[in-house]
Amino acid sequence: MDTVIEVEGLRKEYRRVRGNRTVALDGLDLAVPRGGVFGFLGPNGAGKTTTIRCLLGLVRPTGGRCRLLGEEPAGLHRVIGRVGSIVESPTMYPRFSARRNLELLGRISGIGRARVREVLDEVGLADRADDQVKTYSLGMKQRLGIAGALLKDPEVLILDEPANGLDPAGIVEVRELMRRLGRQGRTVFVSSHILNEIQQTADRVAILAKGRRVATGPVREVLTAGHATGLLVRLDDVAEGLRILGEAGIDARADDGLIRVGLPPADAARVTRTLADRGLYLTELRADEADLETVFLELTGGASTEGSR
Amino acid sequence: MKGLLASEFRRFRSRRLVKVLIALELLAIVATGVIVFLTQEYALVGLPDVLMGTSLVLVSVGWILGASAIGADWHAGHVTTILSWEPRRGRVLFAKIAAALTGVFVLSLAIQALLGIALAVAAAGAGSTTGADAAWLAESAGVAVRVAALSTIFAGFGFGLASAGRNTAVALGVGFGYLVIVENLVRGLRPQWTPWLLTDNAGLFVVDSPIDFPMLGRSTIGAGLYLATVGATLLLAASALFRTRDVN
Repeated sequence: MDTVIEVEGLRKEYRRVRGNRTVALDGLDLAVPRGGVFGFLGPNGAGKTTTIRCLLGLVRPTGGRCRLLGEEPAGLHRVIGRVGSIVESPTMYPRFSARRNLELLGRISGIGRARVREVLDEVGLADRADDQVKTYSLGMKQRLGIAGALLKDPEVLILDEPANGLDPAGIVEVRELMRRLGRQGRTVFVSSHILNEIQQTADRVAILAKGRRVATGPVREVLTAGHATGLLVRLDDVAEGLRILGEAGIDARADDGLIRVGLPPADAARVTRTLADRGLYLTELRADEADLETVFLELTGGASTEGSR
Repeated sequence: MKGLLASEFRRFRSRRLVKVLIALELLAIVATGVIVFLTQEYALVGLPDVLMGTSLVLVSVGWILGASAIGADWHAGHVTTILSWEPRRGRVLFAKIAAALTGVFVLSLAIQALLGIALAVAAAGAGSTTGADAAWLAESAGVAVRVAALSTIFAGFGFGLASAGRNTAVALGVGFGYLVIVENLVRGLRPQWTPWLLTDNAGLFVVDSPIDFPMLGRSTIGAGLYLATVGATLLLAASALFRTRDVN
């Protein structure tokens, strides 16, 4: 598998006053394949932002290794032109306009004004591009941060909580932008506490708790891992349905006005046929799967998902 | 590196603090020219003394601009953004230092040149230009360059302290505390340490008269080199810290 982000046994300790130490990362392993959207989830203090800071060479790991596009932090300058990033809240000069901020950044890599105009258009800031950033709302600043990350036309995007401060319409736009970028073959590595967003956007996911990875893989696999999958059936006569399914040797039980069937979603046709043959017609049939939030809370011991470190 | 330098120079030029300080200095120059023109017969031959008199203001402005060049970036969290474009920290800091110090030097020189022109106009109109010969011009230019160099060195002090403390206020506070309190205490309690005091060496460097600073026992160039060495040491220490500390 072609990986763009590789993390092996990454450890980061912060020294505190009186010699105390806080372990932010405790032997984290992670592999992010090329292309698509990779969700990076974890409760407050799990180590998501620390991981991103290590990858970008902003903090020095206490142990372990991390590589971005095959380069360790010491060689990051060789690939940084292919990486766009937002770390926590995007920071731009508040008294400069969005355009001037992006032009100053672009100048570092020889990126011209035409590309600045493109990204301002792409994030919907073209109309306010010449206003001072200090007059922007939180959501507009976030869009500007995304514009800055896109400026290099990067093949890897590292976005730390990109939906922070955005209104619902903005969240949908960012979601669609991430999907579009993922479909273009870019790798979008996104940390978020909005689990629903990750579930709708990401192809793969990793979940962190206390500086360690507790789950990783394709979203569907993570959702089903350790969970009995089945089918949920709604019909008018639950008792009769249970009796018919029981006679057909299908494991079924009543649950809050529905019938929970112990067959995988692939066997849905068997359930509909069995019931229809006996004159019972379904009003609803759906897969009984845990959502990401349930899995997340189970894996992280119910820790808060607000904020991130 | 070229792009990084261009970006930093452009940012320095665009900063509001720089624009405000330039505007204030220009206003002061115009006011000085008008007052001199209206109230006295100004003798242009005294220009070097006037330029020496600007050194305190220009050095203070240099210190503030040097400190805020990096302190404002730390305050706004922009260091993280810059490092995500150029992760080689040495280059980032070098570009910032180059932009700040070059900017302060050019600004100090330009301000003095404008002041000289304003006073020359005032003297030509309502004063005297007697004695304003080639030797006078060389002396005036020498003072202007030394004052600009001193402002640049003090900008380096400010930059180094603000970079290490990650805050403009740290540099201003430490600078004020050291120059006003520590150096005066040393001067009073340990006079034998006077040769190592920044203010005395700065005075000698601007005035260019070793006889007036017998305690220092060094030449004007020696004083300038000593100050430059202290500034360079401070910047190297700041650079070492910048390279090794985490950016959170």
